[in-house]
Amino acid sequence: MKQFMMIFTGADYTDLGLSPDELQNRMGKWFAWGNKMEQAGILRGGEALHPEIRRIVGKNRTVTDLTSAEVKEIVGGYYTVEAKDFDAVEKIAQDYPDYDLGGTLEIREIMVFDR
Amino acid sequence: MDTKNIDHLFRHHSGKMVSVLTRIFGLQHLDIIEDAVQDTFIKASVSWRKEQPDYPEAWLTKAAKNRVSDIFRTLKAQKNHRPNFSQGTDAIAINELFLDSEIEDAQLRMIFTACHPKLDARDRISFALKTVSGFSIKEIGSALLTKEETIKKRLLRVRKTIKKADLKFNIPQGKNLPKRLETVMEVLYLIFNEGFHSNTKDQLIRTDLCAEAMRLGQLLLKHKQTQLPECYALFALMCFHSARLEAKLSVNNEVLDLKQQDRTLWHFPLIRLGNSMMHRAVETDDFSCYHYEAAIAAEHLKAKTFEDTDWNKILKWYSALQILQPMPSHLLTMAVIYMQINDFKTAKTYFNQLPPQDLEQRAYLFYAAKADYYAGTNQLNKALAQIDLALEMVNNNSEKAYLTAKRSTWREK
Repeated sequence: MKQFMMIFTGADYTDLGLSPDELQNRMGKWFAWGNKMEQAGILRGGEALHPEIRRIVGKNRTVTDLTSAEVKEIVGGYYTVEAKDFDAVEKIAQDYPDYDLGGTLEIREIMVFDR
Repeated sequence: MDTKNIDHLFRHHSGKMVSVLTRIFGLQHLDIIEDAVQDTFIKASVSWRKEQPDYPEAWLTKAAKNRVSDIFRTLKAQKNHRPNFSQGTDAIAINELFLDSEIEDAQLRMIFTACHPKLDARDRISFALKTVSGFSIKEIGSALLTKEETIKKRLLRVRKTIKKADLKFNIPQGKNLPKRLETVMEVLYLIFNEGFHSNTKDQLIRTDLCAEAMRLGQLLLKHKQTQLPECYALFALMCFHSARLEAKLSVNNEVLDLKQQDRTLWHFPLIRLGNSMMHRAVETDDFSCYHYEAAIAAEHLKAKTFEDTDWNKILKWYSALQILQPMPSHLLTMAVIYMQINDFKTAKTYFNQLPPQDLEQRAYLFYAAKADYYAGTNQLNKALAQIDLALEMVNNNSEKAYLTAKRSTWREK
């Protein structure tokens, strides 16, 4: 089995003007997705991230502060899962709740170093 | 946590939180308050992704209380508007405003504010759905069959009027109360009706709107000043109608009329609740139009089969209703009832009194009923012509399918 990370980008809820009901509905979907992965025994961890970003770039260590300004660049959270291969993760990623809000999901395999 | 238990938690809490915070800070700060409540829900929807708290309601109330100090800070920073601090900034006073009874009181104040005579009648429902019921602009638009842009304009207009007329956040007293209450009941019934005969294209019934209207109706019945016979009658009426919601659509999502409905699907607990509400409603002899409408709905529910319906009793209630509150739709209904008891001659006199355009967007119902009239008097060609008119005007897909099916049975004859 390999370890993968699913990274969620875009779709910052703050800017979307969702109603309480829509937000609750979305929360329910996240909840269901998490449950599904837990029941399948593949979920290894994961957290939601605040939208505030501090980015440090270049040799001058320039600090930029990207609070909500560029929605597309916001990483909203991640899950780490254990799966056979990319295809298996892609399958579980079908239930990511935010595709309809223009959200993106990236799958990266976590590199394991030999000791 | 059982997800069923938190059904509509956010929606209901939204109205509560907006109302209580408005009571603390005043109507003029509604914008900041709504943003703050929205933020709280976003925070909850992100932080609850993996696990919900054991007491979600308590979590949200605590979040709302925390928001109080945020809002004080925001207002202080703006400086242009000092909120009314006369209610005291001390924590005890604010905590008391979060007691259940006070939350309900604040929500009632919000409903009565939404129905203020200074607000444009068309703007009231939008505003109530937004602030009391937490609908988004998109949801209000689809519920009221109105463009989102229009809803935005309406809400903006309400905000302006509130500021300009310096509306107070309270329940009117004395002789102002009955008049305002009348508007409140009208708005609740409109919300309910929009759910019951949804005008949207693909959805005939919007249970969420019906449920919301009933929740607000319950608030009226809990409050001493608004526990009035007509409020009980309105609530009974909504119970009776809701009892039939399940039976209104077939498994294939087709409309079923009273004749076709499976009466075993009617929801008995709601009928019983409606009956006990009705008993409270008739404790005095002062009958409102809601009394008569509830009596009519109850009469339908009493009949074991469609054939058992006591049409004469229903006609009696409709005549009383028409005297109290003349409406073109009552005339149409009476025409339909006379056809039920095969009195086509009297039915015709009612059709003749009624120009179809008076029914506005429901004019297709006139043509559909008139088609039934011609079909019942063996004038099939005329019946087909009328039903074609109805088909041209009908908006909802299920109703369209219902009429089309009816048309094809006549063509086969």
